[in-house]
Amino acid sequence: MTIIGMPESMFIVFALTVIGGSLGAIHYTVVHVLLGKPFADEED
Amino acid sequence: MIEAGMSDVNPYYLGAFVLYLVLVLGIGVWGYTRTENVLDFWVFGQGMGPTLATWSLIANFVSSVSVIGFIGAVYVEGYSLMTHTILGLMVGISGLYFVVGKIRALDVLTLPDLVAEVTGYRVARPISGSVLLANAWLYLIMQLVGASLLITAITGVPYEYMVWVIGAVFILYTVLGGLVSVAWTDLVQGLLMVGAVLITLAYMTFDIGSFSAISAEFAAVDEAFVHPTYDGTYTAIAIAASLIAFFGTIFTEQNNIVRIAATKDIRTAKIHLAAAGVVLSVFYSLLIVLGGATTVALFDAGLTVDDPDAAFPVLITDYVPTEIGVIIILAVMSAILSTTDTRLHATGITTARDLYQYFKPQAGEERLMKVSRIATVVFGVTATAVAVNPPGTIIELYNLRAVLLTSAFLIPVYLAIYWTDLDGRAVVGAVTAGALLGLGTDLIAGGIGPVPAVFIGLGVATIVLLVGHYLFGQEATPDTSPMSD
Repeated sequence: MTIIGMPESMFIVFALTVIGGSLGAIHYTVVHVLLGKPFADEED
Repeated sequence: MIEAGMSDVNPYYLGAFVLYLVLVLGIGVWGYTRTENVLDFWVFGQGMGPTLATWSLIANFVSSVSVIGFIGAVYVEGYSLMTHTILGLMVGISGLYFVVGKIRALDVLTLPDLVAEVTGYRVARPISGSVLLANAWLYLIMQLVGASLLITAITGVPYEYMVWVIGAVFILYTVLGGLVSVAWTDLVQGLLMVGAVLITLAYMTFDIGSFSAISAEFAAVDEAFVHPTYDGTYTAIAIAASLIAFFGTIFTEQNNIVRIAATKDIRTAKIHLAAAGVVLSVFYSLLIVLGGATTVALFDAGLTVDDPDAAFPVLITDYVPTEIGVIIILAVMSAILSTTDTRLHATGITTARDLYQYFKPQAGEERLMKVSRIATVVFGVTATAVAVNPPGTIIELYNLRAVLLTSAFLIPVYLAIYWTDLDGRAVVGAVTAGALLGLGTDLIAGGIGPVPAVFIGLGVATIVLLVGHYLFGQEATPDTSPMSD
């Protein structure tokens, strides 16, 4: 089976790369934007 | 002497190139007027906002190595580059996001500062500074080689002249405006580059038929091209070693630490890594597919290249129409200059702060600024001179420095940030041992037996760290708490 012209296993590597690069953005959105947690410097 | 494809001078390409150089020099002069003290020159006066920081990271990341070298790698081994290199880089950006709060709170300016801070030994600064200078110099050479090969192929100006023209321009604007010039040129260059790759991919998608047709036709050229391990060519241990080496470079590149210091607060430091991670992971995925499209186009047109690094330049000179070609050449110039100026800027701050200031602690601000600028010129000119006749291929140099940086710094420095009782001498010893063994075994045979060099470097660093901590840990140690000021 192919997804956008490439085998499923290759598509998974592409997907993992995008998810891997987006972990910071996901964490930032959930923790700091949605839950409103302040940053360490907000608590020569 | 490097042999590059020679073509007739294309006036449109040459014109675009000259116009571009004038623009970045203009930004350099403007940056000079905005640089009042050494902290402006080094770290933007620690006032960089989220937009500049994000695009500065993106522009620095996407270099001639990644545009030309990565497309060349796809031309040879298909999409497997995603599996063993790009995945590691992208997860590395997210990894740095999770520790950046800690790094920014320490308020260090450079990676050697960070090492000195977590070990309590200032002598760690010149030691780690020397490792970083070796890395930056190697990086400058391979960037210049990539840049000059490409521009020579496209404009027709001979390589030995082009390498000096490009070298002189980026030395000049980096010396003038420091990080102020570098950051603003990065913003322009980052946007231009991402835009141009999207336009080129759109053109190639239209040319080949559809987005999924690119990969389908790529597989038709060779089934292994769309296999994650290039049909088993890459073993699990080779992929793991490569992923860890590239993952580690994100944490240990001097410019990434300097940029974190330049951000105005922890919030900005976190945003710039979170946003750049998303943009870069999508960008690289599309760039790799563009590599597939390049291979398909050259194959269908009967164009073959002996040197894989020439695949993308040939696509520009012999395949796409001039309008698309002008856009690509501007993008590639951007990719090259924005990465090179960042590394060059890093040599200035490393020399002045981590070496000169260590030996001359009373040096005044004007003196440090002068040393930064002189170092920038010296490293820039010597790297340009070596690039005229380089010692190895681009990808060889790229992999070598990944092994060096990761072996030396990844485990000792980042473990010490969190393990505050870790003995400082053990950390300094582990950095030194990791650098020597990682680099040594990689240069001799790429490793020992079946064990890749990066595992040897990391393993030795870990053993020295733990044994050293156990032996020294019995005695009282100086200021080893990373959070103390």
